Amino acid sequence: MRFVKTIINTAKLYMAKQQNRPAYFVAGLVLVLLPLFVAPYLRDIITKILIYAIFATSLNLLCGYTGLFSLGHAAYFGVAGYTTGVLMAHYGVESFWIVAPAGVLMAALMAAAFGFVALRGVGTYFLLITLAFGQLIYSVALKWRTVTGGTNGLVNVGYPDLGLPWFTMNALSFYYFVSVILVISFFLLYRLVKSPFGVALQAIRENETRMQSLGYNTWLYKYIIFIVAGLFAGVAGTLFSYHSTILVPSQVGILASTLVMLMVIIGGKRVFWGPTIGAIVIIFVEHYSSLYVPTHWPLILGCFFVVTVMFLRGGISIYLIKLLKRVVSLCIR
Amino acid sequence: MHSLRVEGLSKHFGGVNALRNVSFSVETGEHLAVIGPNGAGKSTLFNVIGGHLPADNGRVLLFGQDITHIPPYKRSHLGIARSFQVAALFLELTVLDNIMLALHGNLRSRFDMYRPMASYKNINDKAHQLLDSMGLWIKRDELVEELSYGEQRRLEISIALSGEPKLLLLDEPSAGLTIAESEDIRNRINSLGSDITIMLVAHDMDLVFGFAKRIIVLHYGEIITEGTCDEIRHDLKVKEIYMGSEMGNTLC
Repeated sequence: MRFVKTIINTAKLYMAKQQNRPAYFVAGLVLVLLPLFVAPYLRDIITKILIYAIFATSLNLLCGYTGLFSLGHAAYFGVAGYTTGVLMAHYGVESFWIVAPAGVLMAALMAAAFGFVALRGVGTYFLLITLAFGQLIYSVALKWRTVTGGTNGLVNVGYPDLGLPWFTMNALSFYYFVSVILVISFFLLYRLVKSPFGVALQAIRENETRMQSLGYNTWLYKYIIFIVAGLFAGVAGTLFSYHSTILVPSQVGILASTLVMLMVIIGGKRVFWGPTIGAIVIIFVEHYSSLYVPTHWPLILGCFFVVTVMFLRGGISIYLIKLLKRVVSLCIR
Repeated sequence: MHSLRVEGLSKHFGGVNALRNVSFSVETGEHLAVIGPNGAGKSTLFNVIGGHLPADNGRVLLFGQDITHIPPYKRSHLGIARSFQVAALFLELTVLDNIMLALHGNLRSRFDMYRPMASYKNINDKAHQLLDSMGLWIKRDELVEELSYGEQRRLEISIALSGEPKLLLLDEPSAGLTIAESEDIRNRINSLGSDITIMLVAHDMDLVFGFAKRIIVLHYGEIITEGTCDEIRHDLKVKEIYMGSEMGNTLC
C-alpha cells in the first residue's frame, strides 16, 4: 500500500514538473504501434494525416502565431510536390537526397518571391494577394501539360530512394519515414514558437506598432516566417507527392488552401497541436463521407465548420485539453 | 549636450496642421513636459519623434544624429523608448512574455529561433527585477488582458523603461487612473534616475508641475510659450487657452 502511494506521489510530482512529457510518450507510442494494428488502407490514410499535420502546422505559423491569413498556402505545398514528382517521373531522379531538398528549396524560394509582394498588403489585401498567387500556381499546374500532365495528373511517382542498398521503401516503412520527418519538423517548429523569435511573432499579431517601438523590424519577422511556413509546406508537399499515386492541380488550388485553413480553424489556432487535431478530424471525415455519401462531402465539411465556429470557439483542441486535464486529475486523485 | 533637438517640424493631416514649425531642444537628463489642450498636437509630436509618423518638414536630431528618416525600430536601438497614451500591450501574452520581449528588443537574441525564451537566465533576472519594482512579479504568468487597468499602466511603464533608454517619451502615463494609482505612477516617474532624458505629455497638472523643470505649451500645433513651472503658471496666454476649463482653475 505504501509502495503504491510512493509511486502515485512521484507521478504527481513528475506531472506537476513535466506536464507534457507523458502526453508526448503516449503520442509517440501510438505513432509507432498504430500501423501494426490497423488495416493497410487505414494506415495509408494515417500517413496522409501525418503529412497534412505538417502542412496545417506550417500554415498555423502564419494564421495562429503571426495573425497573417494566407489563402494560398497550398501553392508552396504544390510547388514542392510537383518539383518532386516531375524530377522522379520525368527525369528519373530517384535519390531522396536530391529530390526532396530540391522540392523544399523551390517551395521556400517561391514563398520568398510571393511573400515579398504579398506582405506589402495587410489584412484582407494580404489574403487576396496570397489567394491570387495560389491560383497562379494552380493555373500553371493546369496549363503546363507537358510537365504537370494537366488534369490527367502526374503519375508514376514512387516512394523515395534513400540510397541504402539493402533497403527498399514500402508502404509500411514509408509510414515510419513520414513519422520521423514529422517528429523532426514538429521539434523544430515547437522550438521556434517558444523562442524569442516565435514569441515576437505573437506580439506582432497583438500590436505591430508597439513591437516596432521596442526595436523589432516587424516586416522582416513577417517575411522570414512566411518563408519558413512555405518551407515546411514544401516538406509536406514533397512527402505528399511520394504518398499519393497521382498529383492533380486541384491539390494545389484554392480548395486545398481552404481545406488546410479549415484544419487550422477547426483544430484550434492558438494551440500548437491544434492543426494536427484538425487534420485528423477533417481527413477522417473526408474519407468516410466520400465512402458513404460521396456527393455530400462538402456539405458535411460545412456543417463541421459551422458547429466548430458556433459551439467550439477556439477549436476542438482547447476542449480536448480541458477534457484531458480533467481525466488526468481524476486518475491522480 | 542636447539629447534631442527638433528643428522646424511640421506635420499636417489633410487641411489640419497638427504641427507648425515646432523647434525646441532637450538637454541630457532634463525632465521636460509638453502641455496643451486636446488636439494641440502633443501625441503627433511624439509619433513624429518616435518615427511612427513621417514628418512633412523639419528635422529630428538625437545626440546630433539626424534620425528624421529612419524607421521606429532603429530609433529604439539608438535609445528612444516610449509609452503609449492608450496602453499598447500584447494582451494575449503573459506579463513575463511582454517584459521579456521588451528586454530582447535591442539585443541580437531577438532573432534567436531555437533557444526557448524562458531559458535566457540573465534576461529573466532583469525581468524579475523590473516587474518586482512595479509590484507585478506575482502576476507574471497571467495574461495581460486579465490585469486591471492600473496594472496595465504600470506594465506599460516597465516596458518603456526596460531597454535602459537614453530618451524616454511618456504619453499620458496616468490617464484614466484612480487618484491613488496616479499618485503611485507620479512617485515612480519622479524616482527615475536623472541620467535619462524624459519628455512627458500629460493633462494631470499635479504630475506635470511635480515632475518637469521646463514646460512647453502647444496650441493648434504651435509652441505658444515655454518656461519654468512658475512662469507657465502665471503666463497670461496659457491662462487664456485654458480659461473656463478645469485646468484653468488649477493654474490660477
